[in-house]
Amino acid sequence: MKFSTLRRMALKGAVACAAITALPAFAADAILRVSAIPDEAPTELQRKFAPLGKYLEAQTGMKVVFTPVTDYAAVVESLATKKIDLAWLGGFTFVQAKIRTNGTAIPIAQREEDAKFTSKFITADPSIKALADLKGKTFAFGSPSSTSGSLMPRFYLQQAGLNPEKDFKNVAYSGAHDATVAFVAAGKAEAGVLNASVWDKLVQAGKVDTSKVHVFSTTPPYFDYNWTVRGDLDPVVVKKLTDAFLKLDPANPEHKEILALQRAAKFIPTKKENYDGIEKAAHAAGLLK
Amino acid sequence: MLLNPAERDPAARSRLIGALATLVILWPLFQAAEVKPGVLFDPGNLKVIGYFLAGFLPPETGAEFMGYLAKATLETLAIATAGMALAFLIAVPMAYLATGAGREKATLNPVTRSLLTILRGIPELVWALVFVRVFGLGPAAGVLALGLTYGGMLAKVYAEILESVDAAPARALRHNGAGRPLAILYGLLPQASKELASYTVYRWECAIRASVVMGFVGAGGLGQLMDQAMKMLNGGEAATILLAFMVLVFAADGFSGWLRRALDTPPAHRASPFGWRSGGLGLALVVGIVASFNYLEIGLKSLLTVEAATSIGEFVAGFFPPDLSAEWLARVGKGVWETLAISVVGTLLAAVAGLLLALPKWRAPFSFLLNTLRSVPELVWATITALAVGLGPFAGALALALHTAGVLGRLYAEALANAPPAPGQALRLAGAPGGFAFLYGTLPGAAPQLIAYTLYRWEMNIRMAAILGFVGAGGLGQLLYFELSLFHHAQASTVIIVMLLLSIAVDQASAWLRRAMR
Repeated sequence: MKFSTLRRMALKGAVACAAITALPAFAADAILRVSAIPDEAPTELQRKFAPLGKYLEAQTGMKVVFTPVTDYAAVVESLATKKIDLAWLGGFTFVQAKIRTNGTAIPIAQREEDAKFTSKFITADPSIKALADLKGKTFAFGSPSSTSGSLMPRFYLQQAGLNPEKDFKNVAYSGAHDATVAFVAAGKAEAGVLNASVWDKLVQAGKVDTSKVHVFSTTPPYFDYNWTVRGDLDPVVVKKLTDAFLKLDPANPEHKEILALQRAAKFIPTKKENYDGIEKAAHAAGLLK
Repeated sequence: MLLNPAERDPAARSRLIGALATLVILWPLFQAAEVKPGVLFDPGNLKVIGYFLAGFLPPETGAEFMGYLAKATLETLAIATAGMALAFLIAVPMAYLATGAGREKATLNPVTRSLLTILRGIPELVWALVFVRVFGLGPAAGVLALGLTYGGMLAKVYAEILESVDAAPARALRHNGAGRPLAILYGLLPQASKELASYTVYRWECAIRASVVMGFVGAGGLGQLMDQAMKMLNGGEAATILLAFMVLVFAADGFSGWLRRALDTPPAHRASPFGWRSGGLGLALVVGIVASFNYLEIGLKSLLTVEAATSIGEFVAGFFPPDLSAEWLARVGKGVWETLAISVVGTLLAAVAGLLLALPKWRAPFSFLLNTLRSVPELVWATITALAVGLGPFAGALALALHTAGVLGRLYAEALANAPPAPGQALRLAGAPGGFAFLYGTLPGAAPQLIAYTLYRWEMNIRMAAILGFVGAGGLGQLLYFELSLFHHAQASTVIIVMLLLSIAVDQASAWLRRAMR
């Protein structure tokens, strides 16, 4: 038995070596690898992306592979390390990606809605009527890296003279916008903030009891989400992708379905400079150093 | 039962002072852990957790979800197995370098030893969180994280096992001119092989638990699914995942118990000691490991390119120099204090609850309860306790208490059963009621073991408390998660270093305590 143990151990080592060397090489060239910041449940993101992925496959002639993730920062890091080619980023994650890639990441398109995006402050507590009433309450942001669920609300709270760490009883990060609504509805946090687009979707779908949870404040508009490609992606592919997004036409029933799932009226061109305001806000809120 | 003054406890004064001193020391810790038992019974909170737990029934059984669940379960098993294979590859050469066994002079290799300390001193969850960033998304991060931490642990324990067996055969071989590898192979391994194999199997069992937890930072498997279900407060899904997880843990527990018992059976009386069991196991092992690596599709080759190396280099470089500004150190210091407080409060509550659950004579229902408590990892408990008492350190302390009560209760029950029965019996025969017989007869006999177990768990809980913050339960973990999310690598680096120092300090302190108690 003693020797059998030994042999087993030796075998184990040998096989692991063999397994490592026999592993297949990484992705081939004709694959477009796409990911998205997990601002909603990853299963929901996958469902939303399916028709858009098919459309992009047809437009670029490449195989489109979508990888769902649960971590915002992982998307930024993957774009910087070229593990993905195209990513759906928030305003703040775009700024992080721009910095991580030494300014090479290119935003190619954004939804019309993203040019004047807002965040909604919500609560189930009738005594909270304005931002100032938040003092001493428990509060839920989305992910720390979220633009509309953390950075911009933080910035506007600061403008209103509130410091979340000092003035709130407890600050929680729910991780995603729909989770924030669940937190507030369940009373896990007394108030929270999320992106207007997800709020509208949840209200339309009847997934939130508006007689209980209501909006008590809305931020001024700012630039948010975009589709970003890594800087050294083949320019031909970049052009194809940009055209593909801009060509989406609400009058075409097939396109309409894709746009509806993306909650976009249509896609418009965008540029890096659009996000300078967010970068400033991030510095002001101490989220960028 | 009133005793006259002369017969009172002669140690009463010192005991009273000891108790008061303990209270004085514990008070600030309870403050830091924000212990507010009242909130547990707050009607608002009770309603929230009531809704959530009511949502557990019925567990989700939809076909689509069961598909996800099956995939995640396989992934968890594969991560644990592949991670252990990697750990083993790391551990063998490292143990060879680190151990004093088979050397002419018993030298220790300080470089390898410190490398091992770093490997296992940083929790696997932190490695996983960092690797998710470096190597991209998916289970590769989990496998590597497990490989490194468990490689460090295995190497240390292998080295110690080799040092603990009788050195005479190896010495004899060396005196006759054999090299060190041969001396270890023929002189030490035959004596140590059973213990080595047994520990390896036990670690694999732990790896399954750990791989579930790593899913919480996006490293795939059941944990990732659980994280989503918990965040969305989807009780039905959470219940099914929890059940799947418990089945997995119980099965691994049973399997590893069977394997270790099998190692105890003497070899068969025939020419070759290899029987059907060793053959079958060897085959299963090979198939299991190959299947795991294939299933996970880890692009290890792509990790070995120059491009990958530069990007990893850049990433690591961002962590240096760590932020050592007074302001940041003060915040990290507060995090350490909070972490310590969480661990102390959690362990104390667990010790009390564990002892109470260990006492009843009729074990069956209590054993089941204890097993259930300990089969749910601390991080999962934390997501539930955060609902009950709100996010913050108290949720962390409660989560530790729940899991640790399960572990300690089981160990306490064993220790009490093994305590020398004579003093208790003598007291009972002399007419003392059952309670007194237990307090003055049985308990003192078992006390050293109870204390040793409690200290050992406290040591583990300090490490665990450092990472509970990933789900919002305070302490160092919350700081680390936040700073890593924002790419504040210099700040994150400080937190990781402090976690490492804390782990080393705990190691040293517990070694010292154990010596002192002997």
